[in-house]
Amino acid sequence: MSSNTIQADYPQFHRCEVDFTTRTEYVEGMEALKAAHQVLKEWTFTPSLPERGYTNRTLYLNVGTLEIRERPVTQQMKDVFTGGRGFGLWHLWNAVTPKTRWNDPENEIIIMPGPVSGITQYPGSGKSLVVSLSPQTEIPIDSNVGGYFGPLLKFSGYDGLEIQGKSDQELIVFIDGQKGLLRVETAPAEPVDSHVLAEILTHMYAEDEKDRVNISVVSAGSAAEHSLIGMLNFSWYDKRRGCIRLKQAGRGGIGTVFRDKKIKALVIRGPEVKGDLNHPKDFETIARTGIKLHKELRSNDPVQCLMRRNGTAHIVEIMDAYDLLPVHNYQYGSHPETHKIASYIWDQRCTQRTADGCWYGCSMACAKGADGVELRTGPYKGHRVTVDGPEYENAAGLGSNCGVFDAEYLLELNFYCDTYGICTITYATICAFVMECYQRGILDKERTGGLDLTWGNAVDDLEMMHQMARGEGFGKIAGLGVKRMKELFIRNGWGDPDLINDIGMENKGLEYSQYMSKESLAQQGGYALTNKGPQHDEAWLIFMDMVNKQLPTFEDKAEALYYFPLFRTWFGLYGWCKLPWNDVAPSDNAKTSEPAKIPEHVQNYLDIAGAMRGVKLTSEDMLNESARVYNFQRIFNIRMGKGLRVHDHAPYRSIGPVTREEYESRIERYEKELREQAGIDPAGLTLEEKMAATRKYRTDRYEKLVNTVYARRGWTLDGVPTQARVKELGLDVFPELVEIVKAYGG
Amino acid sequence: MRQLRIDMGKCNAGRDCRHECEEACAVKVFKLDGPEHAALHIRELPDGTGQAILCDQCGDCVVVCPADALKRNKMGTVVLDKNLCVGCYTCIGFCEKHAFERNPEWVVPFKCIACGICVKACPHAALEIVDVPTPDYRII
Amino acid sequence: MNMIQVNGDPLAWSAGMTVRDVLTLRRFTFPMLVITVDGDLVDRKDYDTAPVPDGADVQVLHLMSGG
Repeated sequence: MSSNTIQADYPQFHRCEVDFTTRTEYVEGMEALKAAHQVLKEWTFTPSLPERGYTNRTLYLNVGTLEIRERPVTQQMKDVFTGGRGFGLWHLWNAVTPKTRWNDPENEIIIMPGPVSGITQYPGSGKSLVVSLSPQTEIPIDSNVGGYFGPLLKFSGYDGLEIQGKSDQELIVFIDGQKGLLRVETAPAEPVDSHVLAEILTHMYAEDEKDRVNISVVSAGSAAEHSLIGMLNFSWYDKRRGCIRLKQAGRGGIGTVFRDKKIKALVIRGPEVKGDLNHPKDFETIARTGIKLHKELRSNDPVQCLMRRNGTAHIVEIMDAYDLLPVHNYQYGSHPETHKIASYIWDQRCTQRTADGCWYGCSMACAKGADGVELRTGPYKGHRVTVDGPEYENAAGLGSNCGVFDAEYLLELNFYCDTYGICTITYATICAFVMECYQRGILDKERTGGLDLTWGNAVDDLEMMHQMARGEGFGKIAGLGVKRMKELFIRNGWGDPDLINDIGMENKGLEYSQYMSKESLAQQGGYALTNKGPQHDEAWLIFMDMVNKQLPTFEDKAEALYYFPLFRTWFGLYGWCKLPWNDVAPSDNAKTSEPAKIPEHVQNYLDIAGAMRGVKLTSEDMLNESARVYNFQRIFNIRMGKGLRVHDHAPYRSIGPVTREEYESRIERYEKELREQAGIDPAGLTLEEKMAATRKYRTDRYEKLVNTVYARRGWTLDGVPTQARVKELGLDVFPELVEIVKAYGG
Repeated sequence: MRQLRIDMGKCNAGRDCRHECEEACAVKVFKLDGPEHAALHIRELPDGTGQAILCDQCGDCVVVCPADALKRNKMGTVVLDKNLCVGCYTCIGFCEKHAFERNPEWVVPFKCIACGICVKACPHAALEIVDVPTPDYRII
Repeated sequence: MNMIQVNGDPLAWSAGMTVRDVLTLRRFTFPMLVITVDGDLVDRKDYDTAPVPDGADVQVLHLMSGG
């Protein structure tokens, strides 16, 4: 695509000289806000640094009773759960009972970095996993997040933070890892929206300008208070820009739990970051491996994925070329206007002259920012802001999936989701659903309270979001999520229940993320046979399946659906971002025996994890560490009343064409499938008969996949881990796990 | 900006070079005990010719440093602030001239600061400090 | 024959066809590919010139990324 087109469509986007150091400021009046704080409790601790990646203690705080205490990290925890997501699930298991609801005081928000979180040499080493009972799914959600909070918490002395209880007044929890002080303060006056709040609190709690990089804020926003789809923002201070940046623990509604507990913000002040604070057993291996990856990114990123320039948005036009870009609520896979939101737009619009890693030393640096954005709508209309993103999910979800092909509006939608504290992926799929309902007359202007939810109407899309933030109107209904809206619309008699159920893209109560699984049986399983719900962080198999044709049999697909969720779980145990694993590859990767696994990178990770902990790890160890946590989470789901085959059901839009237009848009493909796979001759059949035949074929095929995957995972046909599998993994060290699987036929 | 420059015609690399420049740099500037830890390197290539690895103060590292620890001083030389450095080695990885050094006992890397001590030490007057225009920063 | 196989699917062949032609015809724009022609690995720098003979079995492995 030529730059002429870009100039024609967006004359104001020119490479460029947007001044990225200026924006609307929010710190005036900060002193008055601070003066309104009342200290409810102060607690001192001795700061410490990790040894071989672990500080060996976690911090527990109850915001209702104000109980504060340290918990040890035991050897058993390390042996069974390793760290990160594993520790988070373990603490949540102990905090709740099968009867606990997401908004009961017993529910916890648990923030767990892992043993490598905080190293600075290897790209992508600053991640934390956040675990809680989800308001959307009512089972545990685990959500992966960058930013500085996790590593700074670790360097203050804690392998993680558990928050339980509910406050009756707005609180800020401040942890000062330099002084060894925890303060719980009331915070009646601060605004809740993150781009304002995180900026104010970073200035408020830093001792001086240089100290701001040692501060990180966890916050949500006003839409998180009035919906089930809230997320958590984790900030980091961008020195060059002179402002805070936000990364998200997006999926599952943890921001809603946060605001329900009346927590306004968590603030950490950590010590100055240096390169060896995790005290690994073998620093030299980590240093050498990190340098190797920096060099690899330097030479290869410009000719591979261009992550440093475009972030994950580099795949927007690629997915369109492969007919896999979600368009109009996953009806179609490409659109003639995709070029207006494709990666070359963001290459121009995002500021390039700076270092955009969300933790130190990430030279993949994909946390791009668009500076000098002047907002057109909402409470911050006219403000000049920096927008974090967009990432692929935002461009595909808020963009093509809703028919929005305007880059400026896309930035504004992205921005408001972030500051309002709601997940962009979830909001995008919700918006796509209601827009299709509007297209098909299930919703109309009367039912939406006047919102015109035609495809691409970004203005009313934004208004719906602003309503959600205000807690009123149709926006508030949209904030219930797709699952509850389906139930509501059916109850109200607003449309054909089968159609509504078919097009509502949710599984287990969580909305689908922005990839088209419709023609990929492997990805249908990759989404629906997950623990937390249809997030693509377990398995991303579309290309392996549909393009490479590497998974021709059920057994091949089941093997991929066994291996990849385990492999990808592993990153969340240690505190790693998965992007440097396969969004860059060594130059000789093509010559290896299994190029799709990027074997040299897998070895990098094993080497670093081993060098940190002082152990030698193999690929088999990697899978076992993950399998323990993965199966523990499955059993936890069962304990909470889900986790069975019936909950792994997938909406038909994720499996096949729901409507006539969808069928006709790919008629050759579907007829060929009937002929060659289902043994049915489509000649002479009406369109309805062909649609029914395809539906039966695909639904049966999905069920057969489920059988094969469950068997490969060591689960019963009902999706319950067998006792043999539990024993094989050593999880029988907790007898309650055996009791649960036994009770469900495992 | 101040920049170290070498005249390979005068440099003795590949003949009986005694690496006096590297020795002076490592010992006098960085207080390290061997010329292999200097911030410049004179090497002999397999074909017998000499190669010099020097920092030309191009500024690529300034752009990529996540801690903003690399900056030009008043003389235009790129210097590393040890207090801001987080030891991530992005600078080492992204420097095309291999001009950064790392001593396994230090977490913080180091580089040439165009101080001129090697210039005085070279018996062949092959090195000099020059003042050249400061280049624009590149996006890499 | 005038036909080749690309990841198991047939594609019409024409004289002088190169790997780059295959990628263009199939709209394979993914940046990280591993390509073999009749089992021989083709280096990225040779995509524009590497010939694809009639009847060839071409594998274009896409290394998944993203997410």
